[in-house]
Amino acid sequence: MFDVNDFILKKAKELGFGDVVVLGYEMDRRQVRFANNEITVAKNWHERKVELFVELEKRVAGTTITELSEENIERTLKTLLGNMKGMSPKEDYYGIAEGPFEYKDIPETFDKAIVELDEPNEYVERAINAALEEGAKRVAGVLYTDHNRLYLTTSNGVEAFDEGTGIEISVRAFIGDLESGHGTNSVRVLKKFDPESAGRKAGEIAKLAQNPEQGPEGKFDVIFDPLAFANLLSYMSFMTSAYAAEAGFSFLVNKLGQNVANEIVTIKDIGNLPNGYGTRKFDDEGVPTRETTIIENGTFKTFLLNTSMAKKYGTETTANAGLIMPHAWNIVLEPGDYSREELFSEVRKGIYITNVWYTRFQNYVAGDFSTIPRDGIFLVENGELRPIRNIRVSDNFQRILEGIKALGKESHHIHWWEVRTPVSTPYVLVEDVGITRATK
Amino acid sequence: MHELVEFAVEKALELGASYAEARFEEKNGTSLAMKNGNPEGLSIIAERGIGVRVLVDGGMGFASTNVLTKESVSEAVKKAVKLAKAASKVRNEPIVFSEEDFHRVSYKVKMKKDFRDVSPEEKLELLRKIEEDVKATGVNVPMRYLGYSDQLWKKIFINSEGAYVKSKIPRVSITYNLVVFENGQMEQAPFVQRAFSGGLELIEKDEPWSWAVKDVQALKKLIYEGQKPPEGKVDLVISPEVAGIAVHESVGHPYEADRIFGREAAQAGESFVKPDMLGERIGSEAVTVIEDPTIPNSWGFYLYDDEGVKARPRYLIKDGIITEFLTNREYAAKLGQRSNASARAINYNREPIVRMANTYLAPGDYSFEELIEEVKLGVYMVSFNEWNIDDRRYQQRYIGREAYLIENGEIKHPVRRPILEITTRALWSSVDAVGKEVEFFPGTCGKGEPGQGVPVWMGGAHARLRDIPLRRP
Repeated sequence: MFDVNDFILKKAKELGFGDVVVLGYEMDRRQVRFANNEITVAKNWHERKVELFVELEKRVAGTTITELSEENIERTLKTLLGNMKGMSPKEDYYGIAEGPFEYKDIPETFDKAIVELDEPNEYVERAINAALEEGAKRVAGVLYTDHNRLYLTTSNGVEAFDEGTGIEISVRAFIGDLESGHGTNSVRVLKKFDPESAGRKAGEIAKLAQNPEQGPEGKFDVIFDPLAFANLLSYMSFMTSAYAAEAGFSFLVNKLGQNVANEIVTIKDIGNLPNGYGTRKFDDEGVPTRETTIIENGTFKTFLLNTSMAKKYGTETTANAGLIMPHAWNIVLEPGDYSREELFSEVRKGIYITNVWYTRFQNYVAGDFSTIPRDGIFLVENGELRPIRNIRVSDNFQRILEGIKALGKESHHIHWWEVRTPVSTPYVLVEDVGITRATK
Repeated sequence: MHELVEFAVEKALELGASYAEARFEEKNGTSLAMKNGNPEGLSIIAERGIGVRVLVDGGMGFASTNVLTKESVSEAVKKAVKLAKAASKVRNEPIVFSEEDFHRVSYKVKMKKDFRDVSPEEKLELLRKIEEDVKATGVNVPMRYLGYSDQLWKKIFINSEGAYVKSKIPRVSITYNLVVFENGQMEQAPFVQRAFSGGLELIEKDEPWSWAVKDVQALKKLIYEGQKPPEGKVDLVISPEVAGIAVHESVGHPYEADRIFGREAAQAGESFVKPDMLGERIGSEAVTVIEDPTIPNSWGFYLYDDEGVKARPRYLIKDGIITEFLTNREYAAKLGQRSNASARAINYNREPIVRMANTYLAPGDYSFEELIEEVKLGVYMVSFNEWNIDDRRYQQRYIGREAYLIENGEIKHPVRRPILEITTRALWSSVDAVGKEVEFFPGTCGKGEPGQGVPVWMGGAHARLRDIPLRRP
């Protein structure tokens, strides 16, 4: 596809554009959805497109070109030019990265076996059967296989290629109306794929969750399962973008250099994480992806940046472009030193939350939010688990980070419908979490 | 283009599909953003492609392509058929679609002021007007994120049972996030949207800058004059905006038949509603909830759904009784009914699934003054920020943004963050009176895997809820 990229770049320069980024994609994605132990639909997507970013005297514009004929490309560029000429400049635009760069292969991001996989339904059946064996009655979920190729060309000397694969499954198991559990597994190479583990976990939790009682309200020590805490960190990942902060969508506004979490908390974005579902060799400007420490021992170190925003703030890019909006690749909460058993034994009277969804904010800048536990919820009392239901976590993001008092030692990589930015997190124990419930 | 769509359907039948549909979609438009007074750039939206859905041996397959050649479409059809065949082997019972009457029809929404004839700079002026009017209030609003978007949606739908539906629907929208900082305190109106199906004249008539001004002034007043809301059992008057989110979350969603039958269990969740609950009382006699895609210029507008079925208003609750679920052809067949045209797909590369369009609490016969004057102690909730609901759509919460105390029949000072956390049955059983005037508010309804954010309106009339256990933060 580089011939298409080169043509676009050449024509764009001829028309007088300054910075130009051409990011070509070829994507093959397959999906199998299932519910009530049977496949509801199977899908296939084939997509070929170019994302184009152009700059003209600090005016910036972007579009996606899907019809890649020379005629359509020229027409699109002329349309962009015509539209941009009358526009006001973006005064805080400071350009794109200067290439070329060298790229390293990142382990466990491509596997030919996934490209050649003819039929993924057996993995679905294995996940369903694992959940049923644990006692589930109904199993639902989704499996994806991915094969992506990226072709990046910029006006600043970048020409870069990346090819990646992935396979993932998300499984929810039910016993009755109120008893359910959820498990996921997301990997980039086939030999690490373990659909049974997702099914088993979903089934185990559903079984433990039988006959739940109405849950309490008040302040409780809460153990968040990795699936649950990944949801919160995924929302937080958006708030670590400098763009979100400027737009008024982040509790980290004006907090650089301040303590925003307990000192045991270190949160990173790792763009080049081996086997990470969001891993890529380079960002949208061609800067090689890397590890960026966002919160180090509780102190907020940096927002995620592209080149333009970095220059605006007198610093270096963190390789998170998004040309307009920098964004995280894989958020990683560094694990601690507690085994799962030790973590549960820390809690004399508390709550174990296995999953949450529907996290919404009252105020993004203050960080006030609530989220709903779903699937198994348990009262933890002296090591015993008692299933409960119908509670809500109502708290503040920064307070949750400050309240983290222990971290498990095993990290789990989570990516599913509710966790769009992949997150690696251990089990997390947070003290004094606000719990509410409906009283009518 | 319709030759290629027809070709896809014929090809699928040839390859052994018992049912086939193909949908061509093209979206063209512009989006613009302004952050703290800076234009953030222009985005030109131009995408098109074909999606094909088939039934083979009772299994369902879907494939799409944006390479619009016979060869590529043929490849997509082959994949859809192959996937459907493989899926049929992991099914307990075959998928069957309801019998429907299909039409050959073409319709479009007219624009008085066609946004294609307006330059991006002129569109940016709409955002500048918000900036200027907000600044002119004198309220300190240090973070301002404004968005404009327009899109013309063209579709051609053909199925193997004789449907041919061609449509052209323009959509325009303005969104804003405004953060008010006064007196060392901060309040926020995030993701506020004004949106319509039609031309630019609808935005100009709606004056989103007036909504923005009203929002920042209300937030400033809240900061300086806001007090704690009353706690314990009080009355609550909810505005059309709050009634809208409540009907969307706790009536529209749980009445989606695919959710009732568990198809969405792993993502968007299930439902407390069961098929045998048709005819059961869920609210007071004052409560009627209607779902209507056919409201002219509405954000959720359509006349035929993405299975080619003709749309009509649907009465989800009538006088407090559950009367109808939202269905597509698959779940209408399971219920032994006809589809009520609730199948929607956000793009050519998504399968049609059961969705809402415009959901509202139908009007009653109370004036706003009458609703208020009979309240001894209560709260009037005008707008909300934080909201959520469990995946069976039973335990929900809405927190007021702009809200006021009601005392002895009069609206008094603002109150801070009154929290309504309540079950669905208690919510709709508590309504004793509904106002006369209906208003709508736009939203993007999320569902599906991969996600499909579809445009919807939510709204209704004012409603009065008696004896509500209101909370404070």
